[in-house]
Amino acid sequence: MNATILGLRRGWTEQLNIWSDRKELLNGLAGTVGTYVVLILFIGGNNVPGTPVSMAAFMTPGFLAFAVFSTGLMGLPMLIAADREEGTLMRARTLPGGIRVYLTGRAVTTLLTIALNAALVLLAAVPLAGVAAPPTPGRWLTLVWVLVLGTLAVVPIGAAIGTLVSGPKAAAAMLALPAMLLMLISGVMFPLEMMPGVVRGIAQVFPLYWQGLGLRAVFLPDSVLAAELGNSRPLGRAAAVLGAWAVGGIVLAPWLLRRVRGR
Amino acid sequence: MHDVAIRVRGLRMAYGPVQVLNGVDLDLRRGEVFTLLGPNGAGKTTLVEILEGFRTGWSGEVEVLGENPARAGDAWRARLGVVMQSWRDHPRWRVRDLLAHVAAHYDDPHDVDELLATLGLTDAARNRAGVLSGGQRRRLDVALGIVGRPDVLFLDEPTTGFDPEARREFHLLIERLAGEDGLTVLLTTHDLAEAERLSGRIAVLVAGRVVTCGSPAELAHAVQAPSLVRWADGELETADPSGVAWDLHQRYGGPVPGLEIRRPTLEESYLDLIEEARGTRETAAVGGAR
Repeated sequence: MNATILGLRRGWTEQLNIWSDRKELLNGLAGTVGTYVVLILFIGGNNVPGTPVSMAAFMTPGFLAFAVFSTGLMGLPMLIAADREEGTLMRARTLPGGIRVYLTGRAVTTLLTIALNAALVLLAAVPLAGVAAPPTPGRWLTLVWVLVLGTLAVVPIGAAIGTLVSGPKAAAAMLALPAMLLMLISGVMFPLEMMPGVVRGIAQVFPLYWQGLGLRAVFLPDSVLAAELGNSRPLGRAAAVLGAWAVGGIVLAPWLLRRVRGR
Repeated sequence: MHDVAIRVRGLRMAYGPVQVLNGVDLDLRRGEVFTLLGPNGAGKTTLVEILEGFRTGWSGEVEVLGENPARAGDAWRARLGVVMQSWRDHPRWRVRDLLAHVAAHYDDPHDVDELLATLGLTDAARNRAGVLSGGQRRRLDVALGIVGRPDVLFLDEPTTGFDPEARREFHLLIERLAGEDGLTVLLTTHDLAEAERLSGRIAVLVAGRVVTCGSPAELAHAVQAPSLVRWADGELETADPSGVAWDLHQRYGGPVPGLEIRRPTLEESYLDLIEEARGTRETAAVGGAR
């Protein structure tokens, strides 16, 4: 059978296996969607300083970005590291075309998880944060390219990290803290305006900040521009940074994967 | 040439300063069951993984089904079945789903349900792979290894951790598989009885070198250690205990007081052989260091 079709079917079966395990499903959702809902209920009521927009509405695009970011750079590496530890990756190597099928399958589960997390954040956002659908076709278009580019920016790198770490626990230990720190400093919960200069600089290196910025351009009115750095949302620069991460990952990941396979 | 499944000449491999394989030669004919016997750390798994195409950095000549494993592609891989040591992969997958998925990688796989029945896994078909007993899991591994109708099947220590009954069932299964025409089986074990029971030919690998190779009977002969003859006034190690006993009878002019003859079991002989081979290697290593 064609490796792509087989990989798509593999991904779907994997996803059903995860969904049928209630504990795993809840763990997966509690992370991003759970944190989002709790934060909105506790601090979402206040307005972003100097703007008429609530913290809840401000945090929604950030968490949408974080759903993509954390699935690609935490969930995916942990799954791949677990697959390696259990021998699933080794099994794939024993099969003709097995690695292609395996990676296609992992891409499918990652995209499905991102879609599910993003949909749940938005579903919660409508009643809890008063977020509405993007008002113009132009903003819909921005939503699509920001999500696609944001996903491409993290998934190949995440796959490579997964094959480099020794196991899922090592992956969690290595990735959880940096991801949380990035969430704190990348304007997901608080506007970057509130951060000291060095921290702003660090945040702007990573794709999380730029994806959040792009998504705020989709969902938030211009009346919150005061909360952005330089009172503007440079979408061109967002596309450039996300695109650079995507290209870097797509070039680097196969190279890293081959090195691991050669061992 | 076309009835040779695996051909190895002068295979060497080192992990850093440690020489794991020291010039291995092997020939496997198509359709034979061949056992690689040796103590832990002898290099069995490394050798098998080289043949499977999962290791690089070796030197020598290796051909599996006419190709160099380090460079062969998917068409070659489709003709191999691989059962590695202690697999725990795909724990969340149901047995039948996993077997069907693996089968779909091949052009002409076995019928999944028939294979499950053959391996006694029909009742476990809906179970998740992670909850199977050790014996069931191993049978699933074998099913996954043979579902693509391989020409060569690698079994790396397939019965480690089995209880005697599971082990017996497994041996029957391998004999049945080997009966199918053309399937070449390369099996590793550190269990002499298993090697004797299963295979046409056995190669003993010690310290990265094949020290003897042949049928179980030839092996028994090759490794036969001296017997011990003991009597009231002395003892003697000899290859001909019967002759020594006869001489003693002559000398005593009748029954020999306290006569005792101990022939070593095949297992003891095998252990002797391993000791001897290790000794030679250490001597050689010391010599080489000078």
